[in-house]
Amino acid sequence: MKNVKKYLCGVLSLGMALSLCACGGGETGGETGGETAGEIPVIGISQYGQHGSLDNCREGFLQGLEQAGLVEGTDYTIDYQNASFDDNMAIQIAQAFSAEDAALMVGIATPSATACYAAAEDKDIPVIFTAITDPVGAKLDSGNITGTSDVLPVEGQLQLIRALQPEADTIGIVYTTSEPNSVYSVGIYEELAADYGFTIEAVGVTAQSEVTQAVDTLIAKEVDCLSNLTDNNVVGVLGSILEKTNEAGIPVYGSEIEQVKLGCVAGAGLDYVQLGIQTGLMAAKVLTGEATCQDLPYEVIENYALYVNGAALASLNLELPADLAETAEEVGQ
Amino acid sequence: MLEIRNMTKTYNPGTVTELKLFQGFDLTVPDGQFISIVGSNGSGKTSLLNILCGSIPLDSGDVLIDGKSIRRQKDFQRYASIGRVYQNPSLGTCPSLTMLENLSLADNKGKKFGLGFGVNKKRVDFYRDQLSGLGLGLEDKLDVKMGSLSGGQRQAVALLMATMTPLKFLILDEHTAALDPKTAETIMALTGKVVKEKNLTALMVTHNLRYALEYGDRLLMLDRGKIVVDKAGEEKAAMTADQILTTFGQLSMQ
Amino acid sequence: MTDLIASTLTQGFIYALLSYGVYITYSVLDFPDLTVDSSFPLGAAVTAVLLLRGVDPWLTLVCAAAAGALAGLCTGLIHVKLGVRDLLAGIITMTALSSINLLIAGSNLTIERAVDTIFVSAPVMAVLGGLTLTGRKLVVALVLALVVKLVLDLYFRTKSGLLLRAVGDNATLVTTLAKNKGNMKILGVVISNALVALCGGVLCQEQRSYSAVMGIGQVVFGLATVIIGVSLIRFFAGSRVSCRMGKIPVLRFLASPKGTTAVLLGSILYKFCIQIAISVGLPANMLKFITAVLFLLVLVAAGRKGEEIIHA
Repeated sequence: MKNVKKYLCGVLSLGMALSLCACGGGETGGETGGETAGEIPVIGISQYGQHGSLDNCREGFLQGLEQAGLVEGTDYTIDYQNASFDDNMAIQIAQAFSAEDAALMVGIATPSATACYAAAEDKDIPVIFTAITDPVGAKLDSGNITGTSDVLPVEGQLQLIRALQPEADTIGIVYTTSEPNSVYSVGIYEELAADYGFTIEAVGVTAQSEVTQAVDTLIAKEVDCLSNLTDNNVVGVLGSILEKTNEAGIPVYGSEIEQVKLGCVAGAGLDYVQLGIQTGLMAAKVLTGEATCQDLPYEVIENYALYVNGAALASLNLELPADLAETAEEVGQ
Repeated sequence: MLEIRNMTKTYNPGTVTELKLFQGFDLTVPDGQFISIVGSNGSGKTSLLNILCGSIPLDSGDVLIDGKSIRRQKDFQRYASIGRVYQNPSLGTCPSLTMLENLSLADNKGKKFGLGFGVNKKRVDFYRDQLSGLGLGLEDKLDVKMGSLSGGQRQAVALLMATMTPLKFLILDEHTAALDPKTAETIMALTGKVVKEKNLTALMVTHNLRYALEYGDRLLMLDRGKIVVDKAGEEKAAMTADQILTTFGQLSMQ
Repeated sequence: MTDLIASTLTQGFIYALLSYGVYITYSVLDFPDLTVDSSFPLGAAVTAVLLLRGVDPWLTLVCAAAAGALAGLCTGLIHVKLGVRDLLAGIITMTALSSINLLIAGSNLTIERAVDTIFVSAPVMAVLGGLTLTGRKLVVALVLALVVKLVLDLYFRTKSGLLLRAVGDNATLVTTLAKNKGNMKILGVVISNALVALCGGVLCQEQRSYSAVMGIGQVVFGLATVIIGVSLIRFFAGSRVSCRMGKIPVLRFLASPKGTTAVLLGSILYKFCIQIAISVGLPANMLKFITAVLFLLVLVAAGRKGEEIIHA
């Protein structure tokens, strides 16, 4: 046993030494890289976690840079990091970007964006964000920071629900009280619902484990349908939500293409790739010096797409009006 | 004077394991008396001590010190006038504190535990003196953590700590049972000395009949919550280990 | 590279405040306290709201610590006076607090750059005005971590501090010293959560942001740093180097480091492990796994399995 421990100690010290070397090596590599390639600016992308919409944002962002005529390798290099949905990891990633003197930091989702903005303060590195619903509420609408908001097309969603369920009165929404994007979106729903003759029954949860109970509550309150936000806790258990609502005969509307694919009847959703492209175009302007973040107010995407799931509609005996059938994209299996 | 009046205590009442231990138990201990208590397992010796110290509540009856009931006092309040040494040597000291820190804690009993320095350097000589009195060579180990000392050494320090500040009662709960015979002798000798020097009222539970006879001026034998033998003074002095064993035997026959 | 080391150290120093807190409950008191996951964002929430109202940044930290102390008091009272198990008492306060945090500061807040934090406050600028913000953050965090450490070390040597250590070590003895061990436990949990909330407040100022979910996993981080730190120190204390140092009077104090030193080092080491994993470019989804492996290696190498960490 003693020998095993001695051996482990050895392995451990070796491991530490190696990682330090690797760290140092990375540094020298960075320096020489900087020398040989001249002044290729680094764009640090910090993505909060791996998630369909966020991945699409990043892909779109890279496309946007290309569309602006920039070429990776000559005009910029990308340092992409993913925080695995850990706020502390996001902090350290942002600090690493600042330490390597990134020309631009990109924060995908709020925790990554705020961490980048904090780390950028010292060297006043510009920060571009995306996938933040309420940049004003997050106070990211002024200073050396700008980006795009993924505020939900709530109006489009309400029109869609009205078209599919002319008799409906109440829309149920489950949301996480600690998720700023959700809290903000519920506010928009409540503001606009009356215009379309709806009332909103919103139930807040604090954890994913409470979501299905909240759905039960809404079913018991006899809501006419459920409408989803981009709330991770809710979307994460969409499968079991749909089991309950299908049994109760209540349609669920999604807010992203993925949700409709999974079995929501329909949804007015953002195209996150498009959002990313728009963000990439803004970043290109900042990177080339054409504009500063202060010159560019944050942008909201105006276009949204309608997605429908024919099988889900049929199982709930809902009919798609002819005009919608033309514009909507069928995404069901 | 310590009095126990008409005490009753039932364990697990209303269940199949119900045990009516004490039913109208009375005991009076005059000041300065050293009582040895013997009895088989389950006879109520340790329960008696725990009820006195307040770690177990009694069902009815009363415990009085100098005529005043302490029934409503919490355990830690009662310890203001009680010192206790346990069977397990590690219960009497803090293993991760040094001996000096342990002694300083005990030295501060009855005073405020505020933000003054925990260790009073002026008292170190006094501690050394006390430790050398134990004759275990502990006086040079003030900075050693208690946890690295042997069970006997820890028990000796525990005894010292329990009796360091002025107190009325000393409760000894089989405090030599976990020690080897030689160390047990040493600790018993120390106990006798301390009780005599400080003129303490002491209750000692022991399984060692020789100690029960040799020490103290009154001997109690408990059986199923009752006092079956109560000898003091010359009567006690005349008792032999064989007599006690015979009584034991008769009780277990019943 | 220097910048990266500086900002990683800064994180280590700031989080050391939380580690001290967890050290007091877990290691000194033997009280597994889960309040941490909520008292940490509580400190940040109080700090954020007060900063935005123009309160002096240093004063906001005092308020944050006071709020944390109050949270600790709740856990302590629930455990001691209502007789609820320690683990559950922490869970109850933690759960209730997450609502309180939302009430105080909502789900998130950002502090604009126009608002002064401790790192740009007048006294700090007067002394460290010549440094970059990164440099100032490092120095301020270092000073905070060291001052709190020294105060704690001093406290552990007072009568009250000795008694606190005794409660975790042998609660029976505290009772026989005619002291209410329950009150000492409450005191310990109060101090611990005050430190945790202070940490939340400092991090909020450093990051210029508060989020209701920033506390998730903090208790695990705290435990990890305490166990890593204490294990490494024990390993070191049993080594030949330590033995030799013990013979040199000037270095003697280094030969048997204190628990607070251990957790300070543990916190820094933990942050460096993560930074190394990020810098080396390991797949992001594997970071947690790597951290876990590193954690296990440290423990086994130091010959401890984490169940038997002795105090101070």
